Amino acid sequence: MDDYAVCALAHVRILLVPIGSISKRTFDQWAAEIRTIEALRLSDIPPGTRDEKARFMPSPKSRGYIHLNYPSHPPSSSLFDLALFRPSLFPLGVIGIASCSRTDSLSSILAEFNASLKEMFPQDCLYPLARNCFIFEEDDGSTNLNLGDLLPGLVVIPSAMGNKKENIETLLADLCSNILGEFSTIMSNLETPLGNEYLNAALFPKMPSASDMPRPLDDDSRTPLPSFNSQPELTTVNKRQSLLPTRTSSTGPGMMPPSRQSTLGLPARKSGIGAASSHGRLFKVLGDLFLLSGRTEDATIWYTEAVSLFKLQPDTIWHAAASEGQATIALVEAWMASQSTVCAFATRPGQWSDIVDKVETAAGLYAKVTPPTTDNQYHYAHLSFLYVHAVLRHANVLLSVWIARGWGQLALSTMLSPRAAPPAPRGQDAAARTQREKLSSLSGVSRAQVADALSDVHGPWLLHLSHRERIGVLEQLASRYALLGFRRKEVYVLREVVGCIMDLIVCGRAEGDAATFFDGVNGSSPGGSMQSARMQMADVAVRETDRVDGNRSIVALVSYICRVHGVDLDIVKHIDPNNASVDEKHADDEDALEDPSGWAEIQVGIVREALAVAEALPEPSVVAQFAFSALKSLHTVLSDDDQLSLFGSASRALTAARRRGDPRIIEYWSGQPVVSVELVPPHTTRQLVESPVSLLAQRQPVEGSSLLRTTDPFLYNPRKAMTAQGKTLVAEGETLEFLVTLANPYVFDLELQNVSLSTTGVTFTTPHTRVVLAPTSTHTLTLTGTPSRPGLLTIRGLLVQAPGGAPREFLLPLASAEEDERAARRRSAVQCEMGRVKFSGLERKRRSVGASGEGKGGRVRRFLECKVVPVQPAVRIRWSSLAHGALMLYDGERSTIRLTLENVSPLPVDFLRLTFDDSTVGPAQAALAEGELSVFETYETEYALLKRPVFSWDAARHEGRVIRPGQKEVVEVVCAGKVGCTSGVISVAYGYVNRKQATLAQPADVFHTRTLAYPVLVTVYQMLECNAMDILPFSPTAAGEKTGDGDAREGDVRALLGDAEEAGWCLLTVDVRNTYGVPFEVTFGRDQDGKSTPSTTSVVAPGSTARIILPLKKLHLSPPDWDKPIPTLSDRQFVVDKSALSAAEQRAQRQLFWHRERLLSVVHATWREVRGGRSGELSLRRCRMTWPMLEAVRVEGVSVRIGVWRDGGGEEAGRRGEAVSVRGGEFVYVRVEATNMTEDALALTLDLAAEPAEHVLYDGALVDAPLGRVGTGERGTAEVPVCFVACGRFTVDGRVRTVGAAEAVGAARVRVVVEE
Amino acid sequence: MSHHLFILSPSDTPLYSLTHLSSRPAAPAPSPLSANLPSWSTSAFAGTLTALSGASSMAQMSTQGGGVRMGGGQDRHVIQMIANASLDMIEDVVRRENGMYLKAVDKFNEWTISAFVTPGNTKFVLLHEGKNDDGIRAFFVEVWELYLKTMMNPFHTAHSTIRSSVFDTRVRASAKKYL
Repeated sequence: MDDYAVCALAHVRILLVPIGSISKRTFDQWAAEIRTIEALRLSDIPPGTRDEKARFMPSPKSRGYIHLNYPSHPPSSSLFDLALFRPSLFPLGVIGIASCSRTDSLSSILAEFNASLKEMFPQDCLYPLARNCFIFEEDDGSTNLNLGDLLPGLVVIPSAMGNKKENIETLLADLCSNILGEFSTIMSNLETPLGNEYLNAALFPKMPSASDMPRPLDDDSRTPLPSFNSQPELTTVNKRQSLLPTRTSSTGPGMMPPSRQSTLGLPARKSGIGAASSHGRLFKVLGDLFLLSGRTEDATIWYTEAVSLFKLQPDTIWHAAASEGQATIALVEAWMASQSTVCAFATRPGQWSDIVDKVETAAGLYAKVTPPTTDNQYHYAHLSFLYVHAVLRHANVLLSVWIARGWGQLALSTMLSPRAAPPAPRGQDAAARTQREKLSSLSGVSRAQVADALSDVHGPWLLHLSHRERIGVLEQLASRYALLGFRRKEVYVLREVVGCIMDLIVCGRAEGDAATFFDGVNGSSPGGSMQSARMQMADVAVRETDRVDGNRSIVALVSYICRVHGVDLDIVKHIDPNNASVDEKHADDEDALEDPSGWAEIQVGIVREALAVAEALPEPSVVAQFAFSALKSLHTVLSDDDQLSLFGSASRALTAARRRGDPRIIEYWSGQPVVSVELVPPHTTRQLVESPVSLLAQRQPVEGSSLLRTTDPFLYNPRKAMTAQGKTLVAEGETLEFLVTLANPYVFDLELQNVSLSTTGVTFTTPHTRVVLAPTSTHTLTLTGTPSRPGLLTIRGLLVQAPGGAPREFLLPLASAEEDERAARRRSAVQCEMGRVKFSGLERKRRSVGASGEGKGGRVRRFLECKVVPVQPAVRIRWSSLAHGALMLYDGERSTIRLTLENVSPLPVDFLRLTFDDSTVGPAQAALAEGELSVFETYETEYALLKRPVFSWDAARHEGRVIRPGQKEVVEVVCAGKVGCTSGVISVAYGYVNRKQATLAQPADVFHTRTLAYPVLVTVYQMLECNAMDILPFSPTAAGEKTGDGDAREGDVRALLGDAEEAGWCLLTVDVRNTYGVPFEVTFGRDQDGKSTPSTTSVVAPGSTARIILPLKKLHLSPPDWDKPIPTLSDRQFVVDKSALSAAEQRAQRQLFWHRERLLSVVHATWREVRGGRSGELSLRRCRMTWPMLEAVRVEGVSVRIGVWRDGGGEEAGRRGEAVSVRGGEFVYVRVEATNMTEDALALTLDLAAEPAEHVLYDGALVDAPLGRVGTGERGTAEVPVCFVACGRFTVDGRVRTVGAAEAVGAARVRVVVEE
Repeated sequence: MSHHLFILSPSDTPLYSLTHLSSRPAAPAPSPLSANLPSWSTSAFAGTLTALSGASSMAQMSTQGGGVRMGGGQDRHVIQMIANASLDMIEDVVRRENGMYLKAVDKFNEWTISAFVTPGNTKFVLLHEGKNDDGIRAFFVEVWELYLKTMMNPFHTAHSTIRSSVFDTRVRASAKKYL
């Protein structure tokens, strides 16, 4: 704004006015053309014609300039009191700009020009001194203007004219010449004694009216000034003055004696200041006019005169104004010097500090003025106006120097015309900051200095100013602060600007209302008109169309203020619903973890004010936007009441906006309301299992599959993680339920008009739901929907719509490892930043930008996915043979459960498979998975799981059967009593596998099944216990001895032993104890050689124990049979042998294991209830086998017999009891016969040992005597001649070994009694 | 004569604020221009404007005969605004100067603003009317010491509001002593 230029005192203002029907564009174009002419050389001004007018005319050789300035508005009416005090405030000339078209005539344009001037300037106004109307011919040249009949005051510029600018310049010079001529007229009026009286009459004097003045000799019909002044209408003040005796003889210009003043009878109160009637003021006006006419030397002279007079007779205000003028002269002269001698002009700080001091002094003088209290209030306004301008001038000098990098040509040009100012650094970033600091160091003016000067402008006195001035001053202040980069100060002032404007709007509206009201009252019949007005109001709703042009700017201003204070009121945006795309929002974009920033109390205050502004405008949709933005960004610091009131006003505003037909809607605002979305898992009977079709090819599930559910050997299995997050299977056409958790962090009821699932993929029909969230709580909502086609359904998140707002999608990606890691990293980064400050002040907002910048790129988000499969059949269990699902069994008993299945769907079921689970499986599997069991125990556990399952069924019976819709099917399940089993589940998996293909497309390689679960309660009683199993060697003689002692069951045993031949038998004894309350009959049998199955049966009474004896043929296992590792029944891998057994121990263990297995397969035991038909198996697996038992039960590899023979083998020695009787010193032969009982031929050696060895003589070697290769069933013989040389008892041990082996495969012992 | 102390975190959040009414005589008479202010409008916006330009405090002063003023209501908001606006100057001066005590760094309306910037960029902003250079310096140094003692609490960050009553009492005592 050039009004506030430093050198505004030297500016001749020429008002540009559009006249007639000129378009804005054309006017702007020509006005811009004229505005380029900023100064006119004095030498270009045409000299005046007459001497009286030539007083201010430049001499043809003078070097100065007239500086021109082109305001676009007439001055405000309140300032007209300053007409003489500060002529530079007013447009001295007026240029009307018109374009002529076909319809306009020159006279009409002139009339319009005059009329508009009359409107702009009051009739007693001194200004404008000269005027002209430029008529620009339009380009087509088809105007009907006759250039011949030119009216005075009109200039037509033809479109054909080439150098228009030069032409305009000439015209302007003419105008200036007129103005300078008028200056002389003013001066000559003031130089009269009366004029001087008037000048000294008041603080801000008025020009004496023309009627008061002595008629000058010349007629001034050519000047516009008298034409105004000659109007008959006069204001009351002028009237009063005109009544006074005024005609005095002029003694000469400015030579009025002071004593005359009292005779004038001017009001005494007015003469308080100008009582002295010195010529100071006159000289000052003279100086002003010379300054305007560019003659600085003359101006300096008159100003100096004036100041010296003011020093004698203090007249502070005029003094201050004269100092300002002097400072301006200095600046203008400096500028001229810089223009003429570019090189010689150097920067000397001392030079301009004088000027600055002068300006500062002037400002100080204004501040000191105490206006006369009795005077009218306008004096305050004018004084404040002058003071504020002086201070601004001071600040502007400093600012110009600062911004132009020091005192110099650029700075001076800036002062003359602020348009010439170099661009100032903008923004708050580091670059702008360093640039500002650079400016400060280059110019020698610090920002603080400028701001200091500026802060003097601001004060309560601003209230004295009229609205227009105040807004202007405040705007200037704000823009200066903005230039300096003092954003907070700028915003402070901008708040005042907004307050000022809003006050005008509100008051204007109130006045308007009042005016209409009073119009009604002043009607012919007051009551009636009121009535009728009311009636009208009642009948017809009148809505005025508001003009909203300026509203947007005010709103922008308000939101700028808030933004600087750290509140973004544009967070929530307006959306045009027509081209609105539902924008997405990621769940964790919000980050609540932030340090508080900004001054919360101020923020709340300005937000309230912003709302008040928007409400007063009224801009309801902006109100809503502001309120919602504030709620979103400030809800942590807003009090409950504030939240409620903000929400209330927002809701009201939304309603109002809708009523007014505002097409825009508010985007969704309330942060992130969605906490989680999860799919409610369907009921177990509806859960789907997907299996590959290849599974159907296998007839039976792999044996041992029930053992497969063991723990993963890998600690981290990526495949498992993948499958764990696999898609949920859902069936087409069935309702899905989603649990949605919503949160409301606010203290009011948050209404969500519309909540629905946002899905992609398969068409998914989901109803929209309306929900009201209670204050500060979370709410769980169930949303349902139905997929209508098979395929992939992706649930991206939730679509949420607040009332009157736009729908918004909130994405809820699945928590993946990367996502979690990213979130964790982000959180830790934020937490690390917490409490630390890298950017302070207004830059604090930048931090979050830097933090969230990383890792946004190639992020692949995964969403909750459902695989929708074709329609599935449904089957239910219609009936079961169990009462209450419970079953009571004895240990080892078998029972059958019948289940009746019914197909209740329209689809057939062609796949049926049963799987079972029971309470023994879990612990056993856990124990297996633990891996702490020994190999033997592992085998036992696995055997129990696989070979003796609790439940089993005959799968083959149901293979290929189809249950048609509505049909029933019976399934039988066998349940075996197993101690420790308490419950079980029968799972019936079914599906429709072999569907009819609608197309020839490749059928899917998977099929889907559903599972029905039938839980069974099982009670198993253990009534018989087998323990103390033993195996005894059996020889017929021993049997005879044993049976001889009169056993009760002698007959039985004999019968059993009947077929026990001489050798190769043993006895199995088992104690069976009945722990139950019912007697049981126990039968043991053996199944050997396949020929006879003898058995022994005994009744075991409750609480008693029975010993069962069963003769067994010795078991024969060849080393390949028993020297195998203990097998694992499942196909588990990685079985590590943990036992640290030696090789021998391991062999022993294996022998024990395999012999036991053979034994258990040979012996079978059953039980039967004595009273009642229940029967079952009796398991011997509890019983352990020991080494002596093994020795007894197994068949030796080689049977060895030792005999003692006399006489070279002819006669066997006699026996005495078990021993052999031999005479001492007799030579005998010990003959060893080894018979190979194994399947293979063996190479055998013999070790003989006779004890005590020192009394035995023998021939040959006793150790490693070869027996040769002995075939199966053949006999190898060795003879050793021996002589027992002492009497007594000897033992002879013979051990037969295979060659090279240490262990014996057969052994025998003979006792020898040696007698005399 | 009143004093207003604000302790501001580096992100401009007030951590502590104190209004101290001193018994010392009031500031020199304001400019004659600020007398006889018109009351030309009653709208809320005019109220804001009046308050922001400092006119309301003038009016108060004239009615109460230059006595102590209560910094409440709208006035309090204005004082906060002025303190906030002075941060511009403080930031500018801090960049140029080394001292922690910034004497009369800014003036606005009738207020003079002195500041004390700790090495951790916490700012103590004091709005005062008269000249009391040494007193203010001593006051700031004492407040700094008290602030440091508070900050030594391991649970206290640069951004947490100071609610310690001990701190409050001692700052008040110090204000009584020096201001």
